[in-house]
Amino acid sequence: MKVQQSEGGARPPGTGGGTGQDRGRAPQRLRLVRRPSVIAAAEQGRGRPARIPLTMVTPFVVLFGFFFVLPLIYSLVKSTTSDVSGAFTGFTNYSYVLQLGEFWQGVVRMIYFGVIQVTVMIVLALLLALFLDSPYCRGRRFFSVVYFLPFAVPGVIAAIMWGFLFSPQLDVLLHVPQDLGMASGPVNPLGGSAILYAIMLIVTWEATGYNMTIYLTGLSSVTRDVIEAARLDGCSEWRIAWRIKIPLLRPTIIFTIILSIIGTLQLFNEPEIINSLTTLPAGYTPNLLIYQTAFTDGNIPIAAAESVVLAVIIIVASVAFFRIVRRRDARGWGTARPPRRATEPVRLEQAGAAS
Amino acid sequence: MTARRLKVMTGLTLLIIAALFVLLPIYWLIAASTKSTGVLFSSNTFVPSGFASLGRNISALFGFQGDLFRDWIVNSVVYSVVTSCLVVYVASLTGYTLAKFKFVGRGALLATVIGSLMIPSSVLIIPLFILERSLSLSNSYEGVILPLIVSPFVVYFMSFYAEGAVPTSLIDAGRVDGAGELRIFHKIAIPAMTPGLVTMFLITFIGTWNNYFLPLVLLQNGDKYPLTVGLSIWFTDIYSSGVSQPLYPEVILGSLVSILPMLVLFPFLQRYVARGLTLGALGGE
Repeated sequence: MKVQQSEGGARPPGTGGGTGQDRGRAPQRLRLVRRPSVIAAAEQGRGRPARIPLTMVTPFVVLFGFFFVLPLIYSLVKSTTSDVSGAFTGFTNYSYVLQLGEFWQGVVRMIYFGVIQVTVMIVLALLLALFLDSPYCRGRRFFSVVYFLPFAVPGVIAAIMWGFLFSPQLDVLLHVPQDLGMASGPVNPLGGSAILYAIMLIVTWEATGYNMTIYLTGLSSVTRDVIEAARLDGCSEWRIAWRIKIPLLRPTIIFTIILSIIGTLQLFNEPEIINSLTTLPAGYTPNLLIYQTAFTDGNIPIAAAESVVLAVIIIVASVAFFRIVRRRDARGWGTARPPRRATEPVRLEQAGAAS
Repeated sequence: MTARRLKVMTGLTLLIIAALFVLLPIYWLIAASTKSTGVLFSSNTFVPSGFASLGRNISALFGFQGDLFRDWIVNSVVYSVVTSCLVVYVASLTGYTLAKFKFVGRGALLATVIGSLMIPSSVLIIPLFILERSLSLSNSYEGVILPLIVSPFVVYFMSFYAEGAVPTSLIDAGRVDGAGELRIFHKIAIPAMTPGLVTMFLITFIGTWNNYFLPLVLLQNGDKYPLTVGLSIWFTDIYSSGVSQPLYPEVILGSLVSILPMLVLFPFLQRYVARGLTLGALGGE
């Protein structure tokens, strides 16, 4: 590159490495070297005016600015103003939200919900995926399609279907415990504290297959050689799953858990539908409270402050979870481990004895 | 051998139980759509009634309040098709540029896209409503579609998909032949990225079809609702006091109609959708 520049004569004479000899022939050589330099520049994606890539990202950047950054800024600004006068009030709304019992009850309810539901769902999804991937499975293709079907059903429609099935007047299954003499009346999943578990069931129905599909596709890209070798060595399928498959899926599992945490803290559709079947406490989930604050109470500044606090909680929860699993890495949970020290010298000795 | 057989049979039994659990509400929806409101409460939950009531329910559903239900179907199709086409085009252009060009602000843009994946939609949707109302965009097709075009996930996906799918040598060949960058994108990059584009189209289509929170907030007129919002409002009406005739058959059959096309197509599309989800998950590392 340096040589080409000096030959091009762009620089004042005597400043570059170009010799007098070269300078004399410069015009002729110029053509010969220019072409490869264009290709070299093109390979780097440089050489073209810098505005071209900028133009190409413009449609997204403009839309992103208008429909993402602007609303975000609006939320931040609005959350620092008074709902009555519209004047700047600093952190007044935030200190109100931070002391708002309803809001925190909703957050705690969703943390409780997530600890149970996400755990059950991820374990179920993983077991299904591992079994579908095992040699004992029959009908792999059929079952993998069936389990993934709820992904194509809107959460609202899932909640409507289950909502009907949770009505004792409509669903005979809810009368079974009574008929067997195990209960004094029909089961009412929408009565009292059972509602939270009823919603857990709906969400588990919706999302287990989605997570299972992610794991199953992840497993199908695992090199078969390793697993075949382990099988030939007499490893049981449980051992293969625990020692090989799960460690390989580990990053994927962490990713799906983070997605589930984010989804749980934002839960809205299912409780919103269930809310019309029975009356949930106000602010049952943080997002329901935000919606009610904004549209039932018409208090946009408080709703904005609530949504910003929720965003911070979600980001902190995701990052915290990621940090915790990262720290665990050091201790080696579920990671592919080298053979234990105790076995290695033995092998070496055997190898030595054999030779 | 018998131990192996036992494992196969136990596994199969558990798989069937899980499949029944998944299919139960869908089967119930089909059975219930053949019943009138009276039969719904008096007959066995899982035994279908007959084609006569199904026909009556269909005409009740499509005749209720004029063509309202038909409008919702059209709206859902419009929102989903237009949004997915635009998302895929804008996101692939952006993702391809991020993957194949070095330019000032590239790193910042990539970081912003990844960071924005963590922002919950509720922070954006309420201000969007106010923003759109002041621009008289709310209550319109554009008002729903425009914010949905901004899909950081698809941009992020396309940026690492383009990295591997579009050979840099092909791009250079195009440049040497004197093609403009947009022409190279249309003639070389898009064909090379087609599998990824199909996957992202399907995922965005399903996501938009299933979307509820955003249209619920942004739309006030019933004739602009997608199926999810319309059906949820009918469902709420059933349980609110003072409704003369509960809309059980309409909600049940309407729900079935809203999920049936996707359920029928899903076995064929499942593979493409699954691939996208997994690539997204692995790229997340």
